[in-house]
Amino acid sequence: MAPPVPRRREYEVIIVGAGVLGLYTAHYLSQRMDPGRILILEKGYLSAGASGRNGGGVRQQWETVPTIRLAQESVASYRRFPREFGYNPWFRQGGYLFLALDENEEAILGRTRSVLRREGLPVEWLEPRELGRLVPALSREGIRGGNYLRSDGVIFPFPVLWGLYQDLRRRGVEILLGTEAQEILRSGGHVAGVRLPQGRVDVPTVVNAAGGWSREVSLRAGLTVVNQPSRHEILATEPLKPFLDPMVVTLRRGLYFSQSMRGEIIGGLTLSEPAGGDHGMPSSSRFLGEMARELVRYLPALTSVRVLRAWAGFYDDTPDGLPVMGEDPRLAGFIQANGFGGHGFMLAPAAGRRVAQIALGEPTDLAPGVFSPDRFQTGGPPPVREGLQLG
Amino acid sequence: MARSKLPPPVRFRLDGSPTSALPGDTLLQAMSRQERAPLLTRSVRYHRPRGALCGLGQCTGCLVRVNGVPNVRACRYVPTEGDVVSRENAWPSVRWDLFALLDTLFPGHVDTLHGFRRPGFLRPLYHSVIRRLAGYGRLPDRVPAPPHLRESPPDLAEIFDLLLVGAGPVGQGVMDALSRGDVPPRKVIWVGRRRPGDPPVPEGKGAREGEVIHLPPPGADGTFSALVTWASGGTSILRARGVILAVGGYDGSLVFGQNDRPGIMTGDGALASVAPEGTPPFRRALLFGGGERSRELLERWGSRVHAVAAPGKISPALTRAASDLGVSLWPFQLLVAARGRRRVRRAILRDRTRDVGTHLDVDAIILSHRRLPNVPLLFQAGAKMRWDSRGSFYLPEVGPDQTTSVPGLFVVGRVAGEVSPIRIQEGIQRMVRAIPGTEDVPVWDEDLPTSSGEVPVPDEGEDEEVDWRQYYLESLALPLLGKRMVCPCEDVVMEELDEAVHEGFSGMEVVKRVTGTGTGLCQGRYCLPEALLLLSLFEGRPPAELGFITQRPPVWPTPLGDLAQIPPAPSGPPGGG
Repeated sequence: MAPPVPRRREYEVIIVGAGVLGLYTAHYLSQRMDPGRILILEKGYLSAGASGRNGGGVRQQWETVPTIRLAQESVASYRRFPREFGYNPWFRQGGYLFLALDENEEAILGRTRSVLRREGLPVEWLEPRELGRLVPALSREGIRGGNYLRSDGVIFPFPVLWGLYQDLRRRGVEILLGTEAQEILRSGGHVAGVRLPQGRVDVPTVVNAAGGWSREVSLRAGLTVVNQPSRHEILATEPLKPFLDPMVVTLRRGLYFSQSMRGEIIGGLTLSEPAGGDHGMPSSSRFLGEMARELVRYLPALTSVRVLRAWAGFYDDTPDGLPVMGEDPRLAGFIQANGFGGHGFMLAPAAGRRVAQIALGEPTDLAPGVFSPDRFQTGGPPPVREGLQLG
Repeated sequence: MARSKLPPPVRFRLDGSPTSALPGDTLLQAMSRQERAPLLTRSVRYHRPRGALCGLGQCTGCLVRVNGVPNVRACRYVPTEGDVVSRENAWPSVRWDLFALLDTLFPGHVDTLHGFRRPGFLRPLYHSVIRRLAGYGRLPDRVPAPPHLRESPPDLAEIFDLLLVGAGPVGQGVMDALSRGDVPPRKVIWVGRRRPGDPPVPEGKGAREGEVIHLPPPGADGTFSALVTWASGGTSILRARGVILAVGGYDGSLVFGQNDRPGIMTGDGALASVAPEGTPPFRRALLFGGGERSRELLERWGSRVHAVAAPGKISPALTRAASDLGVSLWPFQLLVAARGRRRVRRAILRDRTRDVGTHLDVDAIILSHRRLPNVPLLFQAGAKMRWDSRGSFYLPEVGPDQTTSVPGLFVVGRVAGEVSPIRIQEGIQRMVRAIPGTEDVPVWDEDLPTSSGEVPVPDEGEDEEVDWRQYYLESLALPLLGKRMVCPCEDVVMEELDEAVHEGFSGMEVVKRVTGTGTGLCQGRYCLPEALLLLSLFEGRPPAELGFITQRPPVWPTPLGDLAQIPPAPSGPPGGG
């Protein structure tokens, strides 16, 4: 099939990537400018990238205050989502449970608790006995306790994408699926256009919201970045009647699991292997083994429960575990909105609003330096480091 | 007084009542001896009555709880003395299920994509209710012995020359050809999964009963590493330089009104319901299909078949067999709907050539209208696939020596799109000569089962071609008579596909995510072939343009306890993140 032809020859903003962040950015942009002058490019199909491959966790438990605030705002956004967008993503606030397996982790969680409480979040420390009440199926062997925040939760990612997509189309924002940004064209130190397979379009502002492909998109603008994609895997079991309310997370190995609205246990962990350069997304037998051992350890009753499928997706990692939001200092009009390290979905509503402001050249309330692209170019250590960046 | 020498029956409890099975019977066979179209469970969303559909351990029609473990397949489980079996997902009982009101209250479908959003204060209630309706069974209340306490997986660290997958007649034929003296000896491992009617996997050094659940493309060194679960328990990773897939096919499903009633099953499902000496769970069956598969089933159960209907012509051989038995023939029919509250009691047909409807009072509808190739492993291995307009589904691109686009990966038989026994046999002969032999092979062939002469390849013959897209186009024009289940595992009805397209979604990958079609326990085997045809009508473009969903591992749902045995990576430090 021939790719669709863009409606215009020139746009005001082009967003690369129709993942949740690109769509939210477009959503906020379209409220402030002519929606017909926004173009979203998506190389694959809607939901092809990490936005359609994540476990749906939405949490506010972070170490760094700027991230906590973005997360709080995002939780409020997702609560409003069914009203605003006409789709029901079944955002279920069953809480997030961070387990501590040793003294060191207990200390980390203690520090996090005090930060979170200062931000007004009623996070609780649960002793093993209390964990047993919250998740009776959980094996408490070797667990010292856990941080629990009830207002964290799990969302069904797809309806979020559908809702944003339909809303943008209704408003007249153009979304080209199956269309790759082959090159970001520049004129002097400024973005001048984008080359598509269908031809060139002119545009002064490009938002790089390509997630696991953001490094590639930066390269196509002639910019090298610190972002590194990494392949992560996830699995889903056969659906069971509800027995697990919170998302359970451990600090080691980036292990997480929860039960979806449909009853599947969905979970993943981090294997220490870099992504293949070709962005192939094969599942590995090794992941199935490692993940099965972890799940059976924490939920022994699942031993006879079957795995239905496993799949892979890409995180977009940064050295300090914090995302990148801001205009790239090396190319005027090139806005970086990436590096969310596997946590883009849970921060996207709040992040999209800031990225839209940045694209419009407006001031934002983002703490100076913390998320800006130039923090890696100064040479010194980054101003803040996020420790609860798991995986 | 003649007393039978039969071994004593196996006694177990079903929903609290004592019952029994003959030794060796599966649970499904035991229940099929006792009642027609046994009601085994209720569906997830609407609590519709369900019975066995596929008989191959794939669909969700026969999931029961056995000794505290949910979602055990009645079609594959052989009861043992003292078992406690219960039918789940119903209250107070699977026969009288109060939740089945949902099916009546929502004659179209429940819209969980847009619905249940307002008012906001009711959302926690919606969440709690909808969540309880999902899920096939309750959490196991018993932790089974870890597989390593049952039996350790075989230690198969060596690299084999060939991995042969498939224990059916074609697999057997390949093994015979490989074992003859006139081809180079090779170190072969043969993995197969028995299906009802298949010969047992022969004992022998190279043969094992198990299932390949993940077949990624070969690594950089050209070696395949297949993930296998064994029937005896446990999981191994097998390494082989070449892979032959002789995984055959299965009887496909069909979308029509109330197509999920107990008593509606595929040919495979009907075969699996009947023990070798048993009686089928039907007395007046309708066979739907005009070709060899129907003839085979008619010969088996002639007196219990009431009618044969087909979407097109009925083959001469089937016509002869039916006339001999006095079975009525209904060519060129649309299967419109089934009737019956808890099991099928009537089939509604409509003539495709004249606008005439027919009602047949039947107690089973056996779907034998098309056999589909078992392609998931081919997709996983990265083989180039093509849309086969004759079979209305995907087939691999096959080279002259049964090669695929993946070096070292061979296909033969139904999964290669071939049904003629002679041509399958010729293909096998060409293939075994084309596969390079290796030097220095330990003598394995002496233990391999051999048979001289005839290779038992089924005589399936070639059936009349049916344009299934056209068939569905005509059936869409008919009035709705009950829910038309595209995806029975997740209770997705046909209209949901149509609505997704109307909302502006397109392509199988996206429509799968919008509707849930293909995300259930059967891994899409029973919904995707039909969904592709329907979606192609709704989108108005050829099925081949809709793409296909990624075939994710495992291709057979596999217990976590078995997967936990996968050896950690041989090299490199354990993961830490």
